Amino acid sequence: MQHVIKRDGTKVSFDSVKILNAITKANKTTTDEKMTPTDTLFLTEKISLEIDRLCLCNVEEIQDVVEKILIHYDYAETAKAYILYRSEHSKIRNSEDYLMEIYNKLTYASAKDSDIKRENANIDGDTAMGTMLKYGSEGAKFFIDNYILPKEISRAHLDGDIHIHDKDFYMLTATCCQIDLISLFKNGFSTGHGYLREPNSIESYSALACIAIQANQNEMHGGQSVPNFDHAMAEGVKKTFKQEYLKLFSRYLQIKVNLTDHDIIQLEQELKDLLADQITIKNLPKIEKKLVHFRFLSLNKDSILSAHHYAQKEALKTTNRRTFQAMEAFIHNLNTMNSRAGAQVPFSSINYGTDTSEEGRIVIRNLLLATKAGLGNGETPIFPVQIFKVKSGINFNLEDINYDLFKLSIETSALRLFPNFSFIDAPYNHVFYKANDYQTEVAYMGCRTRVLGNTHDPQRQTICGRGNLSFTSINLPRLGLKAKKNIQFFYQLLDEKINLVFDQLLHRLKIQSSKKVKNFPFLMGEGVWIDSQFLNKDDTIGEVLKHGTLALGFIGLAETLKALTGLHHAESEEVQQLGLAIVAHMRKRADDKAKETGLNFSLIATPAEGLSGRFVPIDRKIFGNIPGITDRDYYTNSFHVPVYYPIKSYEKIELEAPYHELTNGGHITYIELDGDVSQNLEAFETIIRHMHQKGIGYGAINHPLDHDPICGYVGIINDICPRCGRKEGESIPLEKLETLRQQYPNVPYYH
Amino acid sequence: MFKKIKTDSINTVGINESSKKIGERIGFSRTRRITGYLVGTLDRFNNAKRAEEKDRVKHGCS
Repeated sequence: MQHVIKRDGTKVSFDSVKILNAITKANKTTTDEKMTPTDTLFLTEKISLEIDRLCLCNVEEIQDVVEKILIHYDYAETAKAYILYRSEHSKIRNSEDYLMEIYNKLTYASAKDSDIKRENANIDGDTAMGTMLKYGSEGAKFFIDNYILPKEISRAHLDGDIHIHDKDFYMLTATCCQIDLISLFKNGFSTGHGYLREPNSIESYSALACIAIQANQNEMHGGQSVPNFDHAMAEGVKKTFKQEYLKLFSRYLQIKVNLTDHDIIQLEQELKDLLADQITIKNLPKIEKKLVHFRFLSLNKDSILSAHHYAQKEALKTTNRRTFQAMEAFIHNLNTMNSRAGAQVPFSSINYGTDTSEEGRIVIRNLLLATKAGLGNGETPIFPVQIFKVKSGINFNLEDINYDLFKLSIETSALRLFPNFSFIDAPYNHVFYKANDYQTEVAYMGCRTRVLGNTHDPQRQTICGRGNLSFTSINLPRLGLKAKKNIQFFYQLLDEKINLVFDQLLHRLKIQSSKKVKNFPFLMGEGVWIDSQFLNKDDTIGEVLKHGTLALGFIGLAETLKALTGLHHAESEEVQQLGLAIVAHMRKRADDKAKETGLNFSLIATPAEGLSGRFVPIDRKIFGNIPGITDRDYYTNSFHVPVYYPIKSYEKIELEAPYHELTNGGHITYIELDGDVSQNLEAFETIIRHMHQKGIGYGAINHPLDHDPICGYVGIINDICPRCGRKEGESIPLEKLETLRQQYPNVPYYH
Repeated sequence: MFKKIKTDSINTVGINESSKKIGERIGFSRTRRITGYLVGTLDRFNNAKRAEEKDRVKHGCS
């Protein structure tokens, strides 16, 4: 015998030394069967002869002979070790095949045909960088599963008992962070690639806000949030107004009384000396009083005061206009700037609504107007996720100072789906609230993450610089199915899974904690994360990470309840009580674990995008196609009432609200509305008010938002555009657009 | 597949000069919310989320 055919089909010369080595290796692991070199040589000889006799050349067949001969000569333990070694290798080989199969798909299939390329809808899986990102991600998952995770945990994930989110980033970083731009901008900052001075105008404020979000996005695997966008940008508006006022004041006099350039410089200097930091919108009456006594060259009181009146009126106008443009640029940037090697735009969220200063109000108003206007051709901006913070006494009631902005936010959301609404008055949010302190105002990140309470440091139940470290979800419907309507047994199974998830979250935290400041030049190096400013480049980050949350999540409460009782929580009051008891139990376990460890264990109503369809096919294989449980392609999101179940909006709100209180790690409730919502703002506001009243923490109203770029129609389009009458892909005469233009304001022009 | 219209190229791509018509092969865009954020096209939804989006029913107000 001369050749051996390997598994990949290649031919190599037969080499008996390889067999000798394999036997020696297997024998070494045994205790009572130690072979001498003569023994191994003897066995190798016998094996080679047998292979020759049978004319074998296939590697699998050769290995069978090795096993047979070992057993024949009574080396049972060595044979066992050899078999084990063989199967271990074949496992690795199989999983390598598995990984290569995935790479194959990533390389040759288009996103349209390959679900794996559409795991996250905001990554374009068809692009070079999108694919590169997936290679990395799939390779990392393989590494984590096979070499990092304790067997029990990796098994639980692969079998679909639990889902470790962002597993590809297991060894690398944490989920998300609430960035305080105010402290970041003070004295400027470095992105790791270049140093930026403290900004001095609203345009620079908005540009640097984008850059900060982008820089942080590249160091974390989840979304980036600004919890106090209005307060942060207000500083930029303040600086802009001051500049504009001074400039317009002197320009006015320059023209009126013919001042020289030199006079102008001196005038501005004297004004600055006189008014110092008092040039704000609120101080305008005070400034006027001071100016009564101000003298410059031969100018009289009347000239000075008319310069002031002109400057104050015009500065307000230009400040507003510049803020609008800055907000427009902010939105455009966040929808176009690249992160993650260009595969994605940063996943950004901004919270606002509570700054009642004139400057803050200018920010909010113009941001909403820019959102309403849409992108270049009137498209709806996808990012940032916008969250309007609703608070009575500030913006919720008719007499509240920001009530007009609340109204405008409703108008905007009815047209653009954003902003969403968060509710500071919900009792579990309100306990943290202190007036005039944005650090205590609940904020939400991206999909729904909430980080506010702090078990690790109860003195610092604050928003900024904190975020989620990682989260892992439990497949609740499977436990429901396994329990076979035995509620006691269900809780027992649930507790086992919760224990496993806690172990896993701590396992991951240990890895995260061993990272150093230098691994996160922006997040930690620039002091974005809470207390990281006190660390040096080579310090580990374990201690400051303790301010972050470790979240236990779940999917499919509705299917679980179906499995346990035959009904879901919208179908029976009794079942709703069971649903609440189950979620309350998980919350209690998280609270207990937090107390025990001093870490921020919390319960999240998992967002579940990639996860929505992962568990169902596995469970369908185990339990079959069960109506209302495994018969759809997805499990219902967290505690939501199933999307297919007909229910009135107020009932849905009342059913879901109590779950918001229980899920301290994050939650959201949706209402789906029909028709053109922008024509029915009253209904929209009624729903938001109902959410406020019932204790919803975070909510949003969905309505169909289709857009025909040809005639500019925004609304619902089934098959035919209701405005211009064309089907998708069809053309219409240009004359027709001319007619439409006389009826509608926003029909695009073509030349 | 229909063309996704580009913001800055709409004026030039769509017009058929000889027939004086516009819109050939240009699709509609459909924006939907997915787990809390928006997506400008249903094409990028994964299969499960597509199925879910299809099943969504409207909630009456009264």
